Amino acid sequence: MIREILKPTLIIVAVAFICVMALSQVQRVTAPQIAARALEKQQQSLALVLPGFDTGPALTARVEGKDFTWWEGVKQEDGAERKGFAFLTKSPGYGGDVESMVGVDENGIILGLSILQQAETPGLGDRCVEVASRETLFDHIRGGVPVRDLPDEAPIPWFQNQFKGVNAGAGIAVQRRGNWDPEMRESLLALNAISALTGATITTDAVVKSVERGMALLVKARAAAAGQGAEAKK
Amino acid sequence: MNYWKELVKGIWSRNPQMVIGLGFCPTLAVSTSLSNALWMTLAATFVLVGSNLIISSIRKIVPGHLRIPIFITIIATFVTVVDLLLEAYQPEVYRSLGIFIPLIVVNCIILGRAEEFAQKNGVFVSVLDGIGMGIGFGLTLVVLAAVREVLGANRLFGYPLIPGMEPAAVMVLAPGAFFTLAFMLWGMNAINARKKRK
Repeated sequence: MIREILKPTLIIVAVAFICVMALSQVQRVTAPQIAARALEKQQQSLALVLPGFDTGPALTARVEGKDFTWWEGVKQEDGAERKGFAFLTKSPGYGGDVESMVGVDENGIILGLSILQQAETPGLGDRCVEVASRETLFDHIRGGVPVRDLPDEAPIPWFQNQFKGVNAGAGIAVQRRGNWDPEMRESLLALNAISALTGATITTDAVVKSVERGMALLVKARAAAAGQGAEAKK
Repeated sequence: MNYWKELVKGIWSRNPQMVIGLGFCPTLAVSTSLSNALWMTLAATFVLVGSNLIISSIRKIVPGHLRIPIFITIIATFVTVVDLLLEAYQPEVYRSLGIFIPLIVVNCIILGRAEEFAQKNGVFVSVLDGIGMGIGFGLTLVVLAAVREVLGANRLFGYPLIPGMEPAAVMVLAPGAFFTLAFMLWGMNAINARKKRK
């Protein structure tokens, strides 16, 4: 009786033990790589959402019971000093939270948006990180992009790119116009709108909502930080 | 035992999705683009071969009533290895496949092969079986993905094909996957039926 219980127990414990040992080794090898990638991505994102700004260290404050992280940056432009803010924000999409970093200027106009984490449906929602390419397969085989189609914008994902210039504090509208391209920019900006991802309304809404919420939190967090600073001076 | 037969059976006569009818979840979900399909094939084949190898080598000491938890532990270990490696060295792929990498754990092809083959056969044939099944799984995925990417996104390997053509979005959605799969099954059965008649 004891043998019948003991032996299988020992076997399953041994299997679990060996598996965990093996995994901890793999984890030890890959962990620094993964951390480095995450940090690299964050730095790249900062440079992307606040182009040309000197950004300070990350600031955090507790707003509405949650930690809120943001960065402040300054840039000299036309002899005047301009301030920019970048913040992390997330909102649930179709496959877990969609986390992004957003850069805004003092008036809440978005300078750049970069999606850091998402697990949306491949081929639909995950096109929020798709990089638009005008190079067709035939062009590629013939050898590179023909001059007529040279993209005049940086090769950053089109869905994120279209947030540039939108006012984050004023309610972002969502339009269904298919893939964004530079010609749509003016008509969309006039409406403070973006073009939705085809077949991925939930993902689009998640990003829009997270931007609006993050902007509201940024205002509160800065007010809170300013309040604390004033108190500290007293 | 005919080694060659064990290797190639997964490609046509015992194709995991088309004949055995297993593994439809990843098949339908990641076949939206060719590069997703190829990375999925690589990941699943690695797990399949690894789990077949380990399971067939410990098959004699595994108590019958405990085999499922033990098999799942081993499969989950391999999947976690793939998950960590992809996150560390192929972050773009990792981001694009997302949840479907961890979901390889519950891919019925892998547990199915462990149950049906690896626990009853030697190490070498089990590895061959894993490779063959992986190739078969991958072929179905690649054909499906090529059709869906061309018709649904007007792209191949991420490159646009015909500039300015509006793709049929339904092909990227789930119904498109089912339509394509139905046509593939029809084609396969038609070929088999013709062979039989001869």
